[in-house]
Amino acid sequence: MTEPSLLRSQAVDGPLLEVDDLHVQFAGRGRLFGTSPPPVRAVNGVSFSIAPERTFGLVGESGSGKSTIARAILQLVDIASGTIRLGGDDVTQVQRKDELKFRKNVQAVLQDPFSSLNQVHQTRTIVGDGITRHYGLKPGANRDERIGRLLDAVGLSREFIDRYPYEMSGGQRQRISIARALAVEPRLIIADEATSALDVSIQSQVINVLRQIQDDSGVSFLFIAHDLEVVKHVSHDLGVMYLGYLVEKGDANAIYDAPTHPYTEMLIASIPMPDPVVQAGRRELRQSFDNDAEPPSPANLPPGCPFENRCPVAMDICREVMPDPTPAHHGGDVRCHLHTSGPELAGESVVEFIKTKAESRMAGSQRSQDKSLTS
Amino acid sequence: MLRNPLALLSMVWFVILVVSWLRPELLATHDPFQQDVSLQRLFEGPSSDHWLGTDGLGRDHYSRVIFGAGFAFRSVFIAMTIALGVGVPIGLFAGWRGGRVDRAIIWVNDVFFSLPIILLAMAVIIILSPSLTNAMIGVGIAMSTRFVRLTRGVTLAEKEELYVDAARITGISVPRILIRYIAPNLLSSLIVQAAIISGAVILIGATLSFLGIGASLDDPDWGVMLNRARPDFRREGIWQIVPSGGALVLTVLSFNLLGDAIRDSIGRDASSNALTVTKRASVTPASTEHLTDDDIVLSVRDMDVEFPSPNGPVSAILNGVSFEVRAGETLGVVGESGSGKSMTMLSALGLTPAPGRMTRGSVRFADEDVTNLTERDWLRLRGKEIGVIFQEPIAVLNPAMKVGAQIMEPLRIHLGMGKAEARKRAAELLAEVRVPDPERRLDQYPHEFSGGMAQRVGIAMALACEPKLLIADEPSTALDVTVQGQILDLLAEIQSRRNMAIILITHDLGVIAEAADRVLVMYGGQVMETGSAEDIFFRPKHPYTKALLDTMPQNHAGDGDLAVIAGIVPQPNAWPAGCRFAPRCVHATEACVSAIPPLLTVDADHVRCVRFDEPGFDLAHGGSTAEVSA
Repeated sequence: MTEPSLLRSQAVDGPLLEVDDLHVQFAGRGRLFGTSPPPVRAVNGVSFSIAPERTFGLVGESGSGKSTIARAILQLVDIASGTIRLGGDDVTQVQRKDELKFRKNVQAVLQDPFSSLNQVHQTRTIVGDGITRHYGLKPGANRDERIGRLLDAVGLSREFIDRYPYEMSGGQRQRISIARALAVEPRLIIADEATSALDVSIQSQVINVLRQIQDDSGVSFLFIAHDLEVVKHVSHDLGVMYLGYLVEKGDANAIYDAPTHPYTEMLIASIPMPDPVVQAGRRELRQSFDNDAEPPSPANLPPGCPFENRCPVAMDICREVMPDPTPAHHGGDVRCHLHTSGPELAGESVVEFIKTKAESRMAGSQRSQDKSLTS
Repeated sequence: MLRNPLALLSMVWFVILVVSWLRPELLATHDPFQQDVSLQRLFEGPSSDHWLGTDGLGRDHYSRVIFGAGFAFRSVFIAMTIALGVGVPIGLFAGWRGGRVDRAIIWVNDVFFSLPIILLAMAVIIILSPSLTNAMIGVGIAMSTRFVRLTRGVTLAEKEELYVDAARITGISVPRILIRYIAPNLLSSLIVQAAIISGAVILIGATLSFLGIGASLDDPDWGVMLNRARPDFRREGIWQIVPSGGALVLTVLSFNLLGDAIRDSIGRDASSNALTVTKRASVTPASTEHLTDDDIVLSVRDMDVEFPSPNGPVSAILNGVSFEVRAGETLGVVGESGSGKSMTMLSALGLTPAPGRMTRGSVRFADEDVTNLTERDWLRLRGKEIGVIFQEPIAVLNPAMKVGAQIMEPLRIHLGMGKAEARKRAAELLAEVRVPDPERRLDQYPHEFSGGMAQRVGIAMALACEPKLLIADEPSTALDVTVQGQILDLLAEIQSRRNMAIILITHDLGVIAEAADRVLVMYGGQVMETGSAEDIFFRPKHPYTKALLDTMPQNHAGDGDLAVIAGIVPQPNAWPAGCRFAPRCVHATEACVSAIPPLLTVDADHVRCVRFDEPGFDLAHGGSTAEVSA
């Protein structure tokens, strides 16, 4: 086996990160007696890639498996099958001797600004530990200078080097987390719900810092969040997760403007707009999905599409077979039978189709009401 | 800790013991071994020469007690060094590894844990030789099992924390994570546990000495002293066992009290957040009059809430808050975290968290002045006339109680329903909030409900007694966005059916746009602006409102930087002198920072901005109010 090229820190042509057919399963919680239940399938056959200096946004609701993907890439959970490549090299199972090189290339900013920083350490240690570990720079004036430059980069004054986490606000803590990730000059930063716990005004500050860093250093981001509106703004490419499946991926703006999967359309319709007139329209659209159905349990996924019971345009085949990815107009792909059977949308937007269906259904229910009145 | 008199006394006793251990000659008045060869002064009571009397050989009790502290502390030192030195590393290792290794270690540990401590001590004495040191080695090994359990438990929990993930991602080695990251977080529990176990070690040491297998029979050890007094005290009176026995009791007690005090001082921050109801100060009615419309359900006028701060003057959390909500209307309350949204609602309901109090203003509910209502009378209103739903529905439900029983509780308490009637009504309520299969769901436990379904249960409970007012504090924030829509639809549907007033607290202007008829914008514990939803979104009067709108990603066109509000929400003890938003406001002038702007009335609405009626100050058409830079 040759020395992996990325781990030798060479420039990368082609994708920086490639995730191919990733599966992650968690053992069902064992009972005291009897057989243990079937495993929870947290991630099911997910494939995507991130080019250098690009941001891939991963959106989905709680339990959709998006954080598990992050943890799999970061080698914090074991994967069931599939491959993860970094700069062309398989890093699915990084050997112990290569772990430090791997860690230098892939860093993360985690969700909770409270628990992701150790309360007993000052910024100097939180950010400096990685510098010492990867560059052998011992604590002292040189390392402090370097930490100072990182604080500049994340928009904090240099006084923050002496602060403890409890002396900082949520937004300031997340900036410290970003500085910690930047300290080792990684190629990829995974931001897992990095701004979700922050106020909107502060969230915007942190997002701007991330974008500035990408412009300055050319780092790639995997940006994971449940808020599609934020993800769209940050990302070049977008992936939509539902119950462990990547149901749609492609150009972020193109997906937002013309989604091809009914679930993506439902997500967009669910985001409340800060404008009473626009929102009245969105509410109507949202209510065409609203059947109060609950998503199935990830421990007991149906054989077909897991969105079938909430989907306003589901067909018989959706109950039986999980569709394979097919190409979509936004340059990515979509996993939905509408594009291959039934109406055969062939990768085009699903918006008009759902609207027409909803209108005809409303008209139908109106007719049956009229009928019951006349009879 | 210093405010606790018992802890202070324990501390004093502890210092005396430490001095006695290190420099006994400073405190002792006699040689502890010096016997009275004249045999004149045996078994004496306290006197000016022998402060605590003498024993059967005429030795000075007081000096022996002082020298005994050295034996006690040496016991503690040996036992605790072994207990911590063995227990903590094993616990760290077991907790970190988890799985089978952990189970094996804990199994062995439990076997040792269940052996009597004295038995282990005696085993060591038999193997080595009888001495207090050897006995304490045994005690240390026995006590290490306590620290294995404690350390392993904390490590298991801490290793799930994100900061540990972050350290692994940084590439920090495992031993360093254990020592530099996890162990400091363990320190507080270890100190507390060590203090309590040290007390136990002293007792065990004394017991062993008393039994004659610890310190030698001449030593001024407290246990030996008790032993020597035992045959005599029937004849010579109870005094003989008082000096050594008293020293033991006081020492063990002081160790335990110190442990408690340390734990309390560590847990101080958490406990002060507990939601407890305080007695209100008598409130001076503000000059501002309540509006007198018939359909006003809740009206708050000129309310101040103050908190005494530990190091300095009181800080005003709320200042001059006024608003009202009418039947059938939804009042949206919006603002960043720390703006006082939730505090306003708690205080209006007589629930100001201790030690805060409402110091000014008045509150009317329906036609009643509830400003100085007793807690007893509040119980009549809250849960009956006023329903509340919270952000974390699961956290509000009792996990050990069936959902049906929890919905039935307010029905039985407030409406006096019988069991069968309450159950029937509970099923109807679940049906009303569109929980499928309500009869079966009544008999399920909260963990069987998803977040969205649990929030429906929370709404059903709040609605149980047909309240006039429903306060919803971030009811959809913890839910998935597709479920949020269902909950908002449900609230709107119920409101139109019951003509109920709703106060909807949220940080999301999108939710406000969907659901609110009127809006209250808060910042820094003050009302910045009130107005109809249309006014707030299309004709904002206050720069803060405009800035909030501008920072929404939905309102951002193009690929450039998002608009931000520079800086952070100030802490209540650091409010700026003038307008509280001025330091972050791009429109701020000198007039803004000199004095707090008054709350002005414009038509039926309010605004707190000195510049709002300046000619040409038009936020709606005046471009962005938030900065476009980080």
